[in-house]
Amino acid sequence: MSGITRRDFFKTTIAGGSALALSSTKNAFGMSEFDGYPESMGVLVDLTRCIGCRTCEAACNKEHGLPEPDLPFDDFSVFDQTSHGGAVKRRTDDGAYTVVNRYETKDLGGPVYRKIQCNHCNEPACLTSCFVNAYTKTKEGAVIYNPDVCVGCRMCMVACPFRIPAYSYNSALHPEVIKCNFCYDNRLKKGKPPACVEACPQEALTFGHRKTLVKTAHERIRTEPEKYVDHVYGETEVGGTSWMYLSSVPFDQVGFDTTLQRHPILDNTKSFLSFVPMVLGIWPALFMGFHLLATGRKGKAEDTDSNNRGEGHEE
Amino acid sequence: MKIRKIWVLAGIIAVMFFLTAPVFGSDGCPPASVLIDSLSQLYNGAEFDHEQHVDITDDCSACHHHSFGKNVDNEQCARCHYDNRGTSSVACGDCHVQEPFTVQHIREMESNPNRYHIDVTGLKAAYHLRCFNCHVKMGAPSGCVDCHERTDTGDRFYHSGKYAPAGGEIGGQNE
Repeated sequence: MSGITRRDFFKTTIAGGSALALSSTKNAFGMSEFDGYPESMGVLVDLTRCIGCRTCEAACNKEHGLPEPDLPFDDFSVFDQTSHGGAVKRRTDDGAYTVVNRYETKDLGGPVYRKIQCNHCNEPACLTSCFVNAYTKTKEGAVIYNPDVCVGCRMCMVACPFRIPAYSYNSALHPEVIKCNFCYDNRLKKGKPPACVEACPQEALTFGHRKTLVKTAHERIRTEPEKYVDHVYGETEVGGTSWMYLSSVPFDQVGFDTTLQRHPILDNTKSFLSFVPMVLGIWPALFMGFHLLATGRKGKAEDTDSNNRGEGHEE
Repeated sequence: MKIRKIWVLAGIIAVMFFLTAPVFGSDGCPPASVLIDSLSQLYNGAEFDHEQHVDITDDCSACHHHSFGKNVDNEQCARCHYDNRGTSSVACGDCHVQEPFTVQHIREMESNPNRYHIDVTGLKAAYHLRCFNCHVKMGAPSGCVDCHERTDTGDRFYHSGKYAPAGGEIGGQNE
């Protein structure tokens, strides 16, 4: 063979091929930005207004026909409930899409209350982790779940950076993932605010277009800089969420995870996953080709080898 | 011709009188008490003792912001509202709508790019933010039922009272 050895040939083919594949996938799937749907709705939760009356919890329970609570919704002893040896405050579960927790903070005189529910991410980790597409991010901003296709792997529960999806472990025949759906079917789709927002006496929950709410949030900070921490939680966290928060105390003091990345969770795996189709599609054909090429040559080489050996043996 | 002008003038005066009359009541004084019940559903209306609150503060603008009282203290507000004249109405509901989150209202708020007040609360929040925050600050009663009785619908809504879950009375009703 002239000049180029087989080893060199392999090297250049693989290096060139993968470089080509890399550059094309980067444009196709790779690092494109998604800022959320333009008409996406959202809710701005202002912790400075919340008084911990739990009316939102009651409204949610009624709206979705959730099971009767263990304690009345005007019983505030629930704020003292903790699990995991006092480390974890109340969380959403199969009986509650949303819960309010109380935090005693150092800086302020009174307690601060924080409502939790699904934050309806722009690029949800639950959605991208689901291999049967049980989740949908609607153009109205809601992240909704379809129990009919769910296989119950509960990957979404692991993927959620806010630890929101719960599971109806008690249901033997039709267990499903339970989480806030932004009142999508009964309200959001019809242009109505979620039940909790409508019920809140203090308008601690403001409903509107996400884009407008971002402006509103910054305007509140600008007009009362001494009242608010200069940050809108959810504006950029994990690529932005439809539900956002304002607070008068540092967010980590009231249970928020302030270590979350700014870009969507999906970005952590996107560049890797974009290789998968390439590997599955091209590599089998490529290596089969190499294999045939190699074994074809090997056959001939064996022939000459045995001839040589034969000759050697005779000598 | 002259007589006609006088009639028109008299008409205008009459209209203006009727516009200002509800503000001051028939005798020109603020009302002694107001029943706030336009939104009552889970709770009965709140009987608001206006006279008592007038005694507590002599500054009407403590509640009726943008409408009465002394000049605006807040520098932000004073940029426009430096001349704090009384407006034609002092009712909260004239600016704070009952349903702030309807499609129509959201569109209305967003359609005017020159609008400064893009963040106006609804009527329910206007009442509660005014009343509740001050009650907490002044050490006045701040429980829900301290101001308005809960209705039967409300009890059912909160799974409380006679609708309480079995064994749910542990911990009791707080406030």
